[in-house]
Amino acid sequence: MLYVVLFFLLFSLLLYVLLGGADFGAGIVELFSSRENKKVNRDTIYRVMGPIWEANHIWLIILIVILWIAFPVYFNIIIIYLHVPLTLVLLGITMRGVSFVFRHYDAFQDKSQLIYNGLFRFSSFVTPIFLGMCFAALVGGELIVTENYTNYGFYDLFMQPWFNGFSILMGLFYASLCAFLASTLLIGESEGDIRNMYIRKSKISTGILVLLGFVLIAYGFFNEIAFIRDFVTNPISIVCIILSGILLFPLWKFIRAGRRILSRYFAGLQVVLVLFAALVAHFPHVIITSEEEISLLENISPDSVIMVLGISLLIGGGVILPGLFHLMKSFKMIKIFDRDEQQFQK
Amino acid sequence: MENLDYARLQMAFTLGFHIIFACIGMVMPFFMVVSHHKWLKTRNPVYLKLTKAWLKGVAIFFVTGAVSGTALSFELGMLWPEFMKHAGPIIGMPFSLEGAAFFVEAIALGFYLYGWNKLPEKFHWFTGVIIGISGVLSGILVVAANGWMNAPSGFEYINGEFTNVDPVQAFLNPAWFSQALHMTLAAFVATSFGVAGIHAFQILRGKSVEVHKSAFKIAISFGAIAALLQPISGDISAKDVAERQPAKLAAMEAHFETEEGAPLFLGGIVDEENKEVNYKFEIPNALSFLAFGDFEAEVKGLNEFPEDEIPPVAIVHYAFQVMVGIGTLLALAGLLFFVSLKKKSWMNNKKYWWFFMLLAPLGFLALEAGWVVTEVGRQPWIIYQIMRTSDAVTPMPGMKFSFFMYVAVYILLAITVTWLMQRQIKALNTQKD
Repeated sequence: MLYVVLFFLLFSLLLYVLLGGADFGAGIVELFSSRENKKVNRDTIYRVMGPIWEANHIWLIILIVILWIAFPVYFNIIIIYLHVPLTLVLLGITMRGVSFVFRHYDAFQDKSQLIYNGLFRFSSFVTPIFLGMCFAALVGGELIVTENYTNYGFYDLFMQPWFNGFSILMGLFYASLCAFLASTLLIGESEGDIRNMYIRKSKISTGILVLLGFVLIAYGFFNEIAFIRDFVTNPISIVCIILSGILLFPLWKFIRAGRRILSRYFAGLQVVLVLFAALVAHFPHVIITSEEEISLLENISPDSVIMVLGISLLIGGGVILPGLFHLMKSFKMIKIFDRDEQQFQK
Repeated sequence: MENLDYARLQMAFTLGFHIIFACIGMVMPFFMVVSHHKWLKTRNPVYLKLTKAWLKGVAIFFVTGAVSGTALSFELGMLWPEFMKHAGPIIGMPFSLEGAAFFVEAIALGFYLYGWNKLPEKFHWFTGVIIGISGVLSGILVVAANGWMNAPSGFEYINGEFTNVDPVQAFLNPAWFSQALHMTLAAFVATSFGVAGIHAFQILRGKSVEVHKSAFKIAISFGAIAALLQPISGDISAKDVAERQPAKLAAMEAHFETEEGAPLFLGGIVDEENKEVNYKFEIPNALSFLAFGDFEAEVKGLNEFPEDEIPPVAIVHYAFQVMVGIGTLLALAGLLFFVSLKKKSWMNNKKYWWFFMLLAPLGFLALEAGWVVTEVGRQPWIIYQIMRTSDAVTPMPGMKFSFFMYVAVYILLAITVTWLMQRQIKALNTQKD
């Protein structure tokens, strides 16, 4: 059953990074658009992502619930030492969620839209940055896990681990990943000029993403951050990263050829590869503190808890996944292959 | 004030906020699907208009409830890490199922909101029903987890270690049923009277009376039934508390002395220092009967418990009085509504609408008071008789800032949502058919 739980943990992490990321990215793309394109983007993402806007963010709740039930030690470290950035993430999620609904469900469309839009774009941009910073704090090797809180200052314990050069780079990296996902997704949902706009955005964000990736690795390497050092010396990680670099070319071919589904899968595959490369170098030692590497699989909850959680997840997953798939299909998020190919031949 | 106090205030404030939005988001879908059903059956455009207006309300309340709920799922750990470290795995089952139920709700909401004129009519309506059912399920599951804090079970506590964990038994703890029943009914009462009151106000103003009368009837029907059932559920809860948490019961009733044939206190000013209640009205033997079903039963007083295991008496007592008082009033109002179905002339009387308009906020007041009773009444424990709240709090200093930030953000949100609702009503009134 532990494997079932682990599967769902990683699965919800992946889906949150992918779907939640695309959601954030849509707001980022809108933030960095001209005035006309902002309006176009607003209508496009309402049409495309509207039906699943809330579902995308529940993966985060599932993730956190699995953590606290099955991996209490990990949960405890994350929740105590990342209190400040997590509060900022929550604030961002709150603002983003409500401003999305307010701007589309307000009874009158008037000047208040300016506030909703501004809030939506801004929080879409900063929330993934804080999320990236949280991840960087876990692997950055600056966490001080202690029982004697009074021996350390507030800054050392609760700020320094997440607020440093490495984590800011990681935050920006994740934000540009989100923008890349969103613009690639939206190419397939638009026509003509708007489509060209998204193609342009997709190109720019890919460029920034690759650049930031290199800077991040170089920064980590020269600052002797263990996570990055192990990452660049791990053959599997290297292969994954090279593979994701090579796969950018077919991705671009598919985008240009207008094969929306294939391009979407390839964009997703990029994320899977990057995430896998990042985790595999250290798994199961995901948290790296200033003194040790803490394994995810140590001090897990008793078997009885894992058993019940696994069963709950299987039942829940059995209900949710077909429903989610049907939802996406009904609103043409995923199209059946042959129909897509037909469209392509026209 | 210390870090602990701010952490407690933040929890109380954010939960108090979430409860209102979660309850509305949980109950309003039922009004919506009833109205939708009437539209499908009668094709009377009034019902379509109403369904769509309520639908927007559901979307706004759902998202506010959802984001504040997301924040809460983190806050549990951020404020009470020591509690979650031990309790998290034990009460994980209702939470993981709640996650699933919530997910189903979000999926169903996606279908419902975007499915107009796209999905087959009946299937579309049915997705609305799913929103309601999964919403209520989520609520029940979360309350079951809270029940465990009042009635910890499903583990053995040996030398400060939690062993032999049985998550199913923890989920089905002795308090889960009485609490979940009471809470679910309370959600229906509060939301129904709240929504009905707003429509009563519009009827008084003479705006689109036909729509608002239909809305009033649908909303109040749910509330009236729930309000009449609530005293029965309250009785089950009281007996449950009397048996398992005598200190909480004593605080609810502000009973300091242990007595046989204890009287029920109505009202009164609690003097915690001198341990007495002044200016109260007594009903002889009533407390013994209500708590144990026996007029002569012994009721333990607060003086029986060690000083450091007594909850704040005055707050719990007042909150309990408010809850019961409002509950009784709303049950009578429910009765009044059913009588008015026979005596139709009442509905032409302005006083009738005034009455229901004034009742609008009361259900929510009772709801919050009830939470104060159960949460403050459990203090100083976070897990009853196992872990103290003060031992569970986060080691991070500066909770003061976090508290004030949440207060500012949530008050702003509450104001915005109220303003948005007002605009929805305005739109409904000015809409042409």
